[in-house]
Amino acid sequence: MILLLLPAALLLALVFVGPLLHYAWLSGHADSVMTGLLPIPNQGANWWRLASDERFWQDAAQTLRFAAVSVGAELVLALGIALLLDQRWRGRGAVRAMVLVPWALPTTVMALGWRWIFNTPYGPLNQAAALMGFADLNILANPAITWMATVVGDVWKTTPFAALILLAGLQTIPGDLYEALRLEGADSRTCFLRITLPMLRPYIALALLFRLAQAFGVFDLIQVMTGGGPASSTESLALYAYLNAMRFLDFGYSATVMLGSFLLLLLLCGGSWWLLTRLQRWRWGA
Amino acid sequence: MRIRRLRRIPSLLIGGLLALLVLSFGWIQVQARQTEQIRILMPAPFADASKALVEQFNADQHGKAHLEVIRGPLETEAISDLAISSLLLGDAPFDALLMDLTWLPKYAAAGWLEPLSPWFSNNDLDALAPGARAGNSYDGTLYRWPFVASMGLLYWRTDLMDQPPQTPQELEAISKKLQSEKRVPWGYVWEGRQYEGLSCVFLELIDGFGGIWLNPSNGLVGLDQAPGVEAAAWLRHLITEGISPQAVTNFAEPEALQSFKVGDAAFMRNWPYAWAELQKADSSVRGNVGVTTMVAKDPSLSTATLGSWGLALMKGSAHRDAAAEAIRFLTSEQAQKQLFLQQGYTPTIEALFHDPELVRINPTLPELAEALDHTKSRPETPLYAQLSDVLQRNLSAVLTGEVTAVQGMENATFTTKTIMRSAGDLKE
Repeated sequence: MILLLLPAALLLALVFVGPLLHYAWLSGHADSVMTGLLPIPNQGANWWRLASDERFWQDAAQTLRFAAVSVGAELVLALGIALLLDQRWRGRGAVRAMVLVPWALPTTVMALGWRWIFNTPYGPLNQAAALMGFADLNILANPAITWMATVVGDVWKTTPFAALILLAGLQTIPGDLYEALRLEGADSRTCFLRITLPMLRPYIALALLFRLAQAFGVFDLIQVMTGGGPASSTESLALYAYLNAMRFLDFGYSATVMLGSFLLLLLLCGGSWWLLTRLQRWRWGA
Repeated sequence: MRIRRLRRIPSLLIGGLLALLVLSFGWIQVQARQTEQIRILMPAPFADASKALVEQFNADQHGKAHLEVIRGPLETEAISDLAISSLLLGDAPFDALLMDLTWLPKYAAAGWLEPLSPWFSNNDLDALAPGARAGNSYDGTLYRWPFVASMGLLYWRTDLMDQPPQTPQELEAISKKLQSEKRVPWGYVWEGRQYEGLSCVFLELIDGFGGIWLNPSNGLVGLDQAPGVEAAAWLRHLITEGISPQAVTNFAEPEALQSFKVGDAAFMRNWPYAWAELQKADSSVRGNVGVTTMVAKDPSLSTATLGSWGLALMKGSAHRDAAAEAIRFLTSEQAQKQLFLQQGYTPTIEALFHDPELVRINPTLPELAEALDHTKSRPETPLYAQLSDVLQRNLSAVLTGEVTAVQGMENATFTTKTIMRSAGDLKE
């Protein structure tokens, strides 16, 4: 049995554990353009810098806000879409396929599209507002709201993925459960709360964890839509790590930022898992 | 029997293809031994622009060398990422790179560039316009040869005013008058997005207000001094006064150009390439555009950010002599003349600015020469990308009203000094 697991374990070690260990090693060194790209041990200086790096923590807060709001919105929307697509109605197959279109589009392409849609003064949204007599919207030029525009872009693109997982979950729920509960005289609301949600819980957890990890590492959408601006209000941790490596050629610190955000993500996923298991014990709709 | 024969067809096909592959590979090898293959990576627009020159070079050098231009991405930062990725992986798949002047200290410090001194002499340097000589060396070693000069310019509408403004106050007064007369919706459009262009805009102003951004040789940071704060406050003031739209905080060059091109603004800050765009048939301001140097507190302080592209030789290239030959050809007087006439690229050779044939075709050439005399390089240090990023972040916060100009500039100065200090420690 264990022998059969070996190839998978080796693959994991190669693509996951290996780079992680390398990063851990790199984060203990100064390796930047100032050292001629040679690693020089620097006694944890990178980690001290990270702890006191306002920008890292600001980006962590922004990344968390982005991930929480977009994943939350996605799950609610995805549940609605999954429920709709689970019903029998004419043209359902075509709609199921269409729902997947945003998911299939490359992120950079659709991020460029959103940048154009939100453009002031030439984007269609601003033109429509102008026709209705409103002032310029300046959606991508206002640090208080630009991040919400990036959330819209993310929700539009990734809701189909969550919907697909939840739809698969819905189809595993046996119909006779509902029949039995209906015989007892339960209405649809009770059926939803007593059967659908509890049975769907593992799928919700799966979609949540997948999406959380993905949203926490958001890079391409932000890079193309705002470049991290205005006033760095939309900069994500991945973008900061990328800047350190590719623009500043500071690989030691970039590895530290990467590992730091990985640890934060572990905490976040652990926290969500704990919350979900708590919810399981809690009786739905009681 | 028939079935068996049919089954044999795929294996025959595959065998045939393999044989073909081996043969053609061998043929390529033979070819490569005869002529030196030179590869130069360029951003897409430059690669397209130099197509004719490359064909000329290959015709001249037939049998000796063959130049291939790798057409990179469009955006400056994307091409830098591509170049750096391949350089980090070891042997770069190109012999030379067309690079922005701000990359040079970083690339040189990383040890990726080959000194050009064996191929270019002091006489060659003397032929360059003085403004084009800057930004090609690091630590006294020549690493880059300028391909096209570029500098920040103030574009103005000749149909709306007789004379362009020379000071910030004049620019404001003219804008307000035109706006109140409803002749233009906006006074001045510029690049206010949080990106490299914003640093270029700011360098012109801080120097124009009598200050400096940074002197890497003695570590002096001037951002939080009076001129730095005044320059940042003035940019914010343009937005609060409605002279510039609030949307400039997300404008890069294309957005500013679009706004000016449709006649929505009286002034625009942009690079020389915009002039040709503004003379196209779809431009509302065709024939009504003038070019001058940036406004300054005192006209003698007027500054233009130098933004030239140049060719650098990669360390470890197996075809150094041939690649240097190609660089010389692509930057020759004849090539620059051709690029200017066909693409509007600003030359780097002094003599071309006074060539009557060129001046007749583009009457802005004397202004470009004038602006090139006012150019200033951005701080020449391997830490430039990091320091510019700090400036952009803090300026963007000032422009969007998150912090005051004083706070923003103090913050930028503090972070700048921290970065320089920690890098200085590592150097020892």
